[in-house]
Amino acid sequence: MQLGTRRLLDRAFSGLGITSILLLGASLLVILAPIVVRGLGAFVFGGTIEHRRLMLEKFGRGDRAQLDAQIAAAKRARQPVYDMIAAFEKELPRLDPARRRELRTSLKELEERIAILLEPAPGTSDPVLWRDQYGQTRWDRAQVKAHDVLFAEQYDYTDPTQMGKKVWVPRAKEFEGTCLAALFPYVQDNLDAMLKPRTTFYWRFLLDKSHDAHFFGGVGPEVLGTLYLAIGSMLFAIPMGVISAVYLVEYASEGRLVSTLRTFINTLAGVPSIVFALFGLAFFINAMHVSESKSVLAGSLTLGLLVLPIVIRASEEAIRAVPQSYREAALSLGAGKGRTVLTVILPAALPGVFTGIVISMGRAAGETAPIIFTAAVSMGNPLGLVETLSQPTPALPWNIYNLCTEHEAVDEIRHVQFGMVLTLVTLVLLLNGAAIVARARISKRLRA
Amino acid sequence: MSVTTGHPVLEDPPEAALDWGQDDGDPSSDEPPTRTGPPNADAAIADLGLRNRPSLRLNPRASWARWFGSVAVRSLLFLVTSSSVLAVLFIFYFIAKDALPFFRLEGIRAFFTETAWYPSADPPAFGALAIFFGSGLVTLGAVLVTVPLGVSAAVCLSDILPFSVRQLAKPVVEVLAAIPSVAYGFFALVVFAPMLQEDGGRILAMAGWLIGTPLCFLAVVVLSDLVAGTAPTRLRWPVRIGMLLGLGGLAVFGLVKMGAFLGGLQVDSGANALNAAIILGIMALPTVVSVSEDALQAVGREMREASYALGATRAETLIKVIMPAASSGICAAAILGVMRAVGETMVVWMASGNAAQIPAPWYNVLEPVRTLTANIAGDMGEADHVTGSARYHVLFAMAFCLLVISFSLNLASEWIVRRSRRKLRGG
Repeated sequence: MQLGTRRLLDRAFSGLGITSILLLGASLLVILAPIVVRGLGAFVFGGTIEHRRLMLEKFGRGDRAQLDAQIAAAKRARQPVYDMIAAFEKELPRLDPARRRELRTSLKELEERIAILLEPAPGTSDPVLWRDQYGQTRWDRAQVKAHDVLFAEQYDYTDPTQMGKKVWVPRAKEFEGTCLAALFPYVQDNLDAMLKPRTTFYWRFLLDKSHDAHFFGGVGPEVLGTLYLAIGSMLFAIPMGVISAVYLVEYASEGRLVSTLRTFINTLAGVPSIVFALFGLAFFINAMHVSESKSVLAGSLTLGLLVLPIVIRASEEAIRAVPQSYREAALSLGAGKGRTVLTVILPAALPGVFTGIVISMGRAAGETAPIIFTAAVSMGNPLGLVETLSQPTPALPWNIYNLCTEHEAVDEIRHVQFGMVLTLVTLVLLLNGAAIVARARISKRLRA
Repeated sequence: MSVTTGHPVLEDPPEAALDWGQDDGDPSSDEPPTRTGPPNADAAIADLGLRNRPSLRLNPRASWARWFGSVAVRSLLFLVTSSSVLAVLFIFYFIAKDALPFFRLEGIRAFFTETAWYPSADPPAFGALAIFFGSGLVTLGAVLVTVPLGVSAAVCLSDILPFSVRQLAKPVVEVLAAIPSVAYGFFALVVFAPMLQEDGGRILAMAGWLIGTPLCFLAVVVLSDLVAGTAPTRLRWPVRIGMLLGLGGLAVFGLVKMGAFLGGLQVDSGANALNAAIILGIMALPTVVSVSEDALQAVGREMREASYALGATRAETLIKVIMPAASSGICAAAILGVMRAVGETMVVWMASGNAAQIPAPWYNVLEPVRTLTANIAGDMGEADHVTGSARYHVLFAMAFCLLVISFSLNLASEWIVRRSRRKLRGG
């Protein structure tokens, strides 16, 4: 081969490697960017007057006097809309019958849209659901709903070879020539005055209970449930894992027994998470009856089993990294094996063990499949400590799945879904970040 | 002594306890077990103020107690450690226990050979072939994404990048590994699927060009070089240029055709096998990268230096020397990647479309499929309250198949690693 070709191949090879690293980074960025950007939308967003009203009336937050003034101003801005509708209703009987019938259904639809955008029209009965009691609380959703007010969705079937195409027809055209035609430009121009958006920082999203099927409120119970599950699983996995690691490194002599043990630990690490879920259901709940049905306890035990191999491996590595001279020094001072392990080796290995534990805690917090049948429910109140023994809990990973696949209005609550994913990812990455920092410290100390 | 407790690890003689009251004879310490300390040691101990520490008295009864204590501690530790073994056995037992009734009721053959999956029909049909196929297709796709990308990233991390850049790239891999699977699934369903559905053709064509163009370019250059090498010296340059032009034209034609084909594809549903495979591939990347990087690092410096000394370029060294030497580790990495992909639930449940069908034609990755894991997760909710029915047990049968698959993959990877270790030690 020519030298030039060889050089080209060499360059291409390096290029391939660097490209794949860049691809790795790019995929991380592509995955995290929408989660972070849209997830922050759950915390910081343009909150309308309806949001502030809801906060005051349902949560008792905010300044009543100030809000009353704002509500009055918004009401003034909204009044022309209702006036125009009332005027149109008076005008309606005067139109010719065919058009009248057509316009009456259109008017009904329009009124519904306006109720969704602003609030139920004055004088109508009070709806049950929170989402019907208030108008749009978020400015971004309000703009979507305003579009629904201004345009009607229709399907275009002119091309018989293709499926109907969706087209947006301005409602103003429908009501042309009536007094209602003035409504549409008014809504378009005065949306701001009617809803009074203001940048809102809703940090209580992390703590609040969700209301009305996650339309309002936050993810408090989910966060709490996730923490319970992660901590509970570690309560089980840490002692087992660290003791196993101590045995494997300090006590057992390499041989067939240890290699069998290791094979089993590796097998446990390779068991698919969904199988853990079935096992948790069949063993902890159906056979052992640790609780009547799903509970945090059963979920924690299942998750603990899942992260056990990770804890064992990490602790083993950390204990192995303690210099042999430490052991010899302790033994030469007359300390027994047990004393050496407890007072010398474990303290020296502690940072490494801690790193492993924190990483596995992140893993336990993010696992979904094992808790589906053992611990997670889609709705619930924050649990007290004692209730965790018998009650199931909402948890972030499961609720993310649940909200983005099985919720009745998936598109309406995207911000909650993204907020939840961001919360979970942040939680897990914070844990991992702590581990990375701790490890960097350790390696620096060991080098010094 | 091993007779009393029954396992071979506990083989320390009780005399060891007499040895300075240590509670066992550390095999690594090379003191003779019968040593009783030099005469001036007592004085030294007195100086240290350790005289009245019971552990240093050569009292036979205390020593026996200590020995017994040490055995007890040891056995306790062993028991805790073997609970992992117990857990694995229990998992196998409890899954098999609930899987057996299904095989007894419905038989094995239909389960593995038929594609009709109507668990709630009357009479129900439990043909799981399509679901097994779905798992296989998605896993294959994920492997095709993850292995080339992961191995080349590992090569780059271990041999190409300078140390400082590597320190920057490592956290990227770690963060990828840390992101929970449900977040990947969410991304696949909410962000990636609509993208694919809206302009899938364009995305596919772009990807095809991005991958195809450099590969075709390299292939053309290398091929024409090789052919020119066989020609007589005088004709080398004309042959080379002719080949370059001819093959280059062919490659451009092929690329344009491929782009047109891919660009014309209509993606009916963004949640399909391709989506799941790509996201799953990205998810399995960290495993593949870190395991194969370890394998590459384990190949000694001498090999690299010897190869460089013979005049090989870095690429030649890596391809002809390092990667063959690390091949078993890379194999193990690939197997671990497969395991991750087969066992993953959330991503496939959310992104694969969940249609229990074999796509037509079978390699059509733009069709929705359903995998074993997703099927278990999705159907259990409906089967739960009819516990005891075939519908409930069939899910355990599937879980048992998953368990067997992952167990054998695990054994295979362990076997490969052990063999390579022996080979390296022997060589």
